[in-house]
Amino acid sequence: MKLLIVEDEKALSRSIGEYLKMEGHICEFAQNYHEAFIKTADNTYNCIILDIGLPDGNGLDIIRELKKSKSNDRILILSAKTSLEDKLTGLKIGADDYLTKPFHMSELSARVNSICRRDNFVGFNEVTFNEIMVRTDEHQAFANDQLLNLTRKEYDLLLFFMANRDRIVTKESIVEHLWGDNVILTDSFDFVYTHVKNLRKKLLANNCGNYIKVIYGFGYKFCES
Amino acid sequence: MKLLTRSTYYFFIFSIQTMIAAGAIFYYTFRTIVYKQIDDSLIIEKTIIQEQIDESDSIPDFAASYGHLIRVRLLGTPVLYSQTINDTTLFDVPSSVYLPFRHLRFTNNTHGKSGYIINIYQVLDENKKLLNMVAFGMVLLFLSLLLVSLFVNYLMSKKLWRPFFEAVNGAANFNVLSDKFPELQETNINEFKQLNLVIEQMTRKMRADYINLKEYNENSSHEIQTPLAVIRSKLDILMQKRNLGRKSIDLIKSINEATTKLFKLNQGLLMISRIENLQFPDTKEISFEELIQKWLDNYEEIMQLKRIKVETEISNAALVNMNETLADVMISNLLSNAVRYNIDNGYIRCRLDNQCLTITNSGMPLEIDPELVFNRFSKGTSNPHSVGLGLSIVKKIIDHYNMKISYTCTDSVHEIKVFYKS
Repeated sequence: MKLLIVEDEKALSRSIGEYLKMEGHICEFAQNYHEAFIKTADNTYNCIILDIGLPDGNGLDIIRELKKSKSNDRILILSAKTSLEDKLTGLKIGADDYLTKPFHMSELSARVNSICRRDNFVGFNEVTFNEIMVRTDEHQAFANDQLLNLTRKEYDLLLFFMANRDRIVTKESIVEHLWGDNVILTDSFDFVYTHVKNLRKKLLANNCGNYIKVIYGFGYKFCES
Repeated sequence: MKLLTRSTYYFFIFSIQTMIAAGAIFYYTFRTIVYKQIDDSLIIEKTIIQEQIDESDSIPDFAASYGHLIRVRLLGTPVLYSQTINDTTLFDVPSSVYLPFRHLRFTNNTHGKSGYIINIYQVLDENKKLLNMVAFGMVLLFLSLLLVSLFVNYLMSKKLWRPFFEAVNGAANFNVLSDKFPELQETNINEFKQLNLVIEQMTRKMRADYINLKEYNENSSHEIQTPLAVIRSKLDILMQKRNLGRKSIDLIKSINEATTKLFKLNQGLLMISRIENLQFPDTKEISFEELIQKWLDNYEEIMQLKRIKVETEISNAALVNMNETLADVMISNLLSNAVRYNIDNGYIRCRLDNQCLTITNSGMPLEIDPELVFNRFSKGTSNPHSVGLGLSIVKKIIDHYNMKISYTCTDSVHEIKVFYKS
């Protein structure tokens, strides 16, 4: 996928780029409204990661411009403001998702993947990893063409892992992804452990490889065994 | 005690003492004058009688005298008593009562052979009546004077002190959250002018300080978000590095935990300041029932793991007109607390009727004063990951909508009641 990262904080946009490149995305950068405006006018992107608080303009105006020119670029808004109004306005004028700073890279990656899947090409609603295939439009997961009997949270967890394949996913980012950031982490680590254990068991029972690796101190990594 | 009451009280005590003293002095003076007059008339009578005895050695015809009653005793031998004047009573036959009299007794010895003891009585009835009437009139006069002056004093003080009371009222009703300043009454009394000036300056200063502080809080909270995002993203990248040693991993882990805590803290404080700044104006009809169901569903697996039993009892719940986000935050905070501070094999009971939402849950006994649970950063547990803002956010939301909330804890049963219809 080709992504544009519009973010005035250089340190942050570099991290985002680095993380998303690990997944094989091609990332371009814009540091202000002006640059973003030119880049979006000249190119098309699968997804634009857009900080709406730019030094020389409001990111929301870029969305308006894009929609005016009937662009199909997908947009993920980043904002330091937790204000719902910004979120609603952003989504109303055509953004696809909204993420509040600070966020986990794994969460961003999952959101970007989810946004890119929305493009209505055949096969885009399918996420595959070796013998595992997830049909996101039907919320179903298959292993070796066998339907996996997963709970809702296990399904979300599997998709989250697959969006962050080969990268370490922390327990806390899993908690936030599954339950929102309202749950205190220490308690929930046990729940993450249980969920991961159940998911692994179900995958193994359906003759999948043991892809979920425990990483000391951090969490898990979904990768080739 | 009110100032006005106290000043009236002092005035009353002082004037009643003065009046009693003045009344007593007046009464005795008047009485002395009356007695003196009577005694003088008795002495004149005595002189007349004595002259008459000296001249004719006979007792005069007493009927012609001043209306005095005269009793004379003639003795065979001379006597000498000193003259006395005193009060006495005599039995009055026609009205068969004892009447008060002034009594003068003296002796007279004529020619050394016989002596008279002469008693002259002056009835005091009329004089006593006069005296009493005067006294009564005086008391009446004093009392009415006292009442009138009390009333006048009260009115005057009330009028005099009015600017003061209004200033105090204004200062008391001043709310730093609103830009309505106390309206102070114009006055030309210097002391009150000064008071008004001080109150006005103080309230304006308070308001300005409050706005400054609020802006500072909000700005700093917002500005902290971006560096936090940078730290978090760098940590996420750092974790991906392949050959990290155990030591580095532990370091990264604790940096990550601290960052998360800082982030949650900041988020909570931002939420509180946004509620205070009235940044959630949009409202709609909210069903608590749906929200409770939504959040119970979200925590379902966690509750299963802890083997927490959930009971919900919902009967004709009313819709609540409030902001969607705030309602969501409120219910999720309450329920996540009930889950988080629960014990294995515990329970959560949600009861919702048309007035009140009650969430009861088992848990550990509270370590702090139940009164303090809604305060910022007062944590009921020693959980290092809890930032202690959840319930104070709930309280802010409750206050924002003029609802009531109560928290009780008996042993290991915690109960929170939200009275959402006041």
